Amino acid sequence: MSKKSQLQLLLIATLFGACLSTSYADQPKKASDTRTAKVQQMINDAEMARKKAAKVEGEWRDVGKFIKQAKKALAKGDYVTAMKLAAKAHKQSVLGYRQAISQRELKMPSYLKY
Amino acid sequence: MKKIFYRVALLAMASSVALAAQATTPEEDLAAFRNYFKERFPGVQMNEYTNGVYAIDPIGRESWEAIEEFPPYEPFVDDGKEMWETPFANGKTYKDCFPDGPAIASKFPRWDKKQGMVITLPLAINQCRKANGEKPLKYKKGPINNILSYIAYESRGQKTHVIIPKDDPRALEAYEKGKKFYYTRRGQLNFSCATCHLQNAGMRIRSDILSPALGHTTHFPVYRSKWGTVGTLHRRFTGRNKQVRAKPFKAQGEQYRDLEYFLTYMSNGLPLNGPGSRK
Repeated sequence: MSKKSQLQLLLIATLFGACLSTSYADQPKKASDTRTAKVQQMINDAEMARKKAAKVEGEWRDVGKFIKQAKKALAKGDYVTAMKLAAKAHKQSVLGYRQAISQRELKMPSYLKY
Repeated sequence: MKKIFYRVALLAMASSVALAAQATTPEEDLAAFRNYFKERFPGVQMNEYTNGVYAIDPIGRESWEAIEEFPPYEPFVDDGKEMWETPFANGKTYKDCFPDGPAIASKFPRWDKKQGMVITLPLAINQCRKANGEKPLKYKKGPINNILSYIAYESRGQKTHVIIPKDDPRALEAYEKGKKFYYTRRGQLNFSCATCHLQNAGMRIRSDILSPALGHTTHFPVYRSKWGTVGTLHRRFTGRNKQVRAKPFKAQGEQYRDLEYFLTYMSNGLPLNGPGSRK
């Protein structure tokens, strides 16, 4: 092989190696972006559920706090905690909404005698 | 025989459904409320309910009577008197807003036709302040409790007398909203106000005895040992909602004013005895 060919081969190999290392370095970053987006979506869903419950005066006491804490956890990169809190906030909002709807009609207790 | 049985059963179901759906008047609500407590606590005189849980808790009553010898709300009454007598920056006083004052507690809450809403005493005080260029007071803690304590003290002995005027259907609507609030389950613990203070009045919740709802509003503002200070009725509403893990509403917002309207009506005829002291 001539010197020129050897140099060309070396250049190609170097370029190829550089590409490979770049794409591998990107993967963890892309994975964390995906997780962040997923958890952020969970927080957004919890916030929407909270507003829905609040509209029918069915918001529970701690939901707002859970959402705030979820946002903080996400900002720190603590995905597990953020997800748990968002899920809890969402669940309580759904339950609060259902409760408020179930209580829409005034039901006088039977122990009051008229 | 079977046909007759089914017809009677159907008739009974139809009438019970009709009963549940039938609207009751405030007078009927009051009668049912009182009768419930008469049956539940047969030995307790009607006026005793103004003493809250101490009407049904003889041991707690002993401590309470000892506290009342040197009432912890006295300094607040004195500060309130000073507030009442101190002119605003424009030279006017509270007397200009409340000519019959300071013994005016029995006039509230009331329906205000012009404003189209329930007016409570704290709200009226702040409306007076705003009208005279003064900063409004906060509704749960702080100096509002001083002037409320003074007014409550001067109003002692007056009878609770909430009126629902018949010439404005919005007043009855506000009453009904307050009533609905009272009987609605809320929060993670799924309790209504009635769950504790009607259905379970006299029962223990941990070490405390649940107070009966009758007479609940007569002794406010109240010095609570837990607070270490005097607080308003709406502060108490807020705390209660939080305790059942519901998000509380705004003090002096529509929900709590309507609730106060209903709840105070349920104590109509009972003498005012604020400010009170409670655990």
